[in-house]
Amino acid sequence: MPIHEKSLIRKENLVTHERLTLEGVDVSGDWSTFIQPRVITDYNEAMQDEIAALPGGEAIHRCWQCGSCTNACTINALNSDFNPRYWIYLIRIGLESELLRDKDIIWQCVSCNKCTYACPRDVNPEGVMKATAHWLELKGHTPPSPAMVFDEVFSEQVFEHGRIEDGRVLRRFFARTGQALRQDWLVAMVKGLVSRLPVSLLIRLGLATVIEPKTRGWGPARAAIAEYVAERHAADRRALSLPAEESKR
Amino acid sequence: MSAPVLVVGGGPAGLSAAHALASTGTSVVLVDKADRLGGAPILSGYAKLVPSGEWARDAIGGMVRRVEENPLITVHRNARITDFSGEPGKFRARTSTGADLDVASAVLCTGFTHFDSVNKPEWGFGTYPDVVTTTQVEQMLSSGAGIRCPSDGREPERVAILLCVGSRDRQIGREWCSKICCTVSANIAMEIREHLPKCNVYIYYMDIRTFGLYEDTFYWESQEKWKVKYIKARIAEVTAIGGRLLVKGEDTLVKRPITIPFDLVVHAIGMDPNVENLEIAATFGIRLEKHGHILKAPTYSAMSGTTRPGVFVAGAATGPETIDDSIAQGQAAAMAALGMAHAPVAAAAE
Repeated sequence: MPIHEKSLIRKENLVTHERLTLEGVDVSGDWSTFIQPRVITDYNEAMQDEIAALPGGEAIHRCWQCGSCTNACTINALNSDFNPRYWIYLIRIGLESELLRDKDIIWQCVSCNKCTYACPRDVNPEGVMKATAHWLELKGHTPPSPAMVFDEVFSEQVFEHGRIEDGRVLRRFFARTGQALRQDWLVAMVKGLVSRLPVSLLIRLGLATVIEPKTRGWGPARAAIAEYVAERHAADRRALSLPAEESKR
Repeated sequence: MSAPVLVVGGGPAGLSAAHALASTGTSVVLVDKADRLGGAPILSGYAKLVPSGEWARDAIGGMVRRVEENPLITVHRNARITDFSGEPGKFRARTSTGADLDVASAVLCTGFTHFDSVNKPEWGFGTYPDVVTTTQVEQMLSSGAGIRCPSDGREPERVAILLCVGSRDRQIGREWCSKICCTVSANIAMEIREHLPKCNVYIYYMDIRTFGLYEDTFYWESQEKWKVKYIKARIAEVTAIGGRLLVKGEDTLVKRPITIPFDLVVHAIGMDPNVENLEIAATFGIRLEKHGHILKAPTYSAMSGTTRPGVFVAGAATGPETIDDSIAQGQAAAMAALGMAHAPVAAAAE
């Protein structure tokens, strides 16, 4: 039962045979064009539970599809394909293939939380977007986004030493995202710092790049955080029925 | 104040009216066509009532006992009214069991009839044993048998509840909303999830009309606590494949056709006018409104009235009604009958 609505016909669903003869009639080319059915034949019931198990996705099952989130969305105003309301629905009924069509834009959420304040049911759509991006990564559908890589290098240092060193964060971020360290804006910024900051501060900054700064007595905190992070990762993977993680670098 | 008040029908509204009248010292004759009192909640074996969550046999059963034990109330079971004549304050009614009753007024609490799903054959009721009605699910729960597929007794893994079966449907002349099915369905969905935690429940809706305080306590709670899923689609047909049911329709939110397998399909059946309303209207000399329910007098000036002075009405006889509101209307009708008893001339002149 096709729906004859042109806007719903996708190129990839059009099938045409170069050479085709049906019961002696030549229907080659456009004569054999037909549209593949768009029928949903089952629900993937695990999908909503998987997203709900990731931080931010907990309240997804509350959604009643009013569209307040999409209407409030900063990114939707720029790109109408960015539609949180629609993605939440796809996740709720488990239409994975449809969600994956948009996998390359879902991470673009800027976490402005306008949707969070607009949502009448406290779905926390911003959290759902975060959980969904996370889900796409864990499932291997998308590579880690630059923002996620930055999060990683930043928190790795905090977890390890209880503090960060800006230069090291930047260097590791550039290295891990395959970017050159010599960025024009960075050069300009360093030059500005050198010419404007007092010498004593510059010396401290310079020393910090050589000697990794550490928080005194951080050991117990580091152990507790490491334990929590490992637990959290394991829980996320369990929720998605993924094999346990191989030990991290 | 000597003549009793006739109450026709012993469901929630009739039980309430009879009790209210008797509590003021007025004698009552209660006539019911069934062999026991209680009306639909008892005769159809409802489980836990909306919104109280009390078992129907406890809540309505208590109302029945209160009426049966009241010396001012005479109960005629297995009886209908076949003749009704006279004027306000001096009516004479005859029952099908041959009793002649002199009554001051009558309160019609004749209720409704459940929609018969056979009238929507495309949704599979009567064709496939695993297509059932909300009333049947109520009975599965109230009997203690549990939620099972009638075909082979297995526990369903996936249940679809179709809303608006016999409501809001011009094709079959049901142009009204039956008011309570959305809430009852949310309630049943939660019961199913509680009894069978591995069973997913989907509710197919056009809109959700869990009005007033039913919004968060039933609709939201079913989503938030029990993870019941709501799909916006009016189902086109129910068929079967390989021992399971196939529900077809269009998911209007993704604009795509759906063909989803289910183990059990539940029709949220609506409330039809009582099938005997034409007979009741002829006997009592009252008019029906266009859908076939008993026509009410203007609410603002003549609450509980019908088109005939001295004949009052309460509950689902006037259109789809909740149990709580039927009980309230029973009391309101009792008040109207009492008021007329104190000023029969003025009421008759109106």
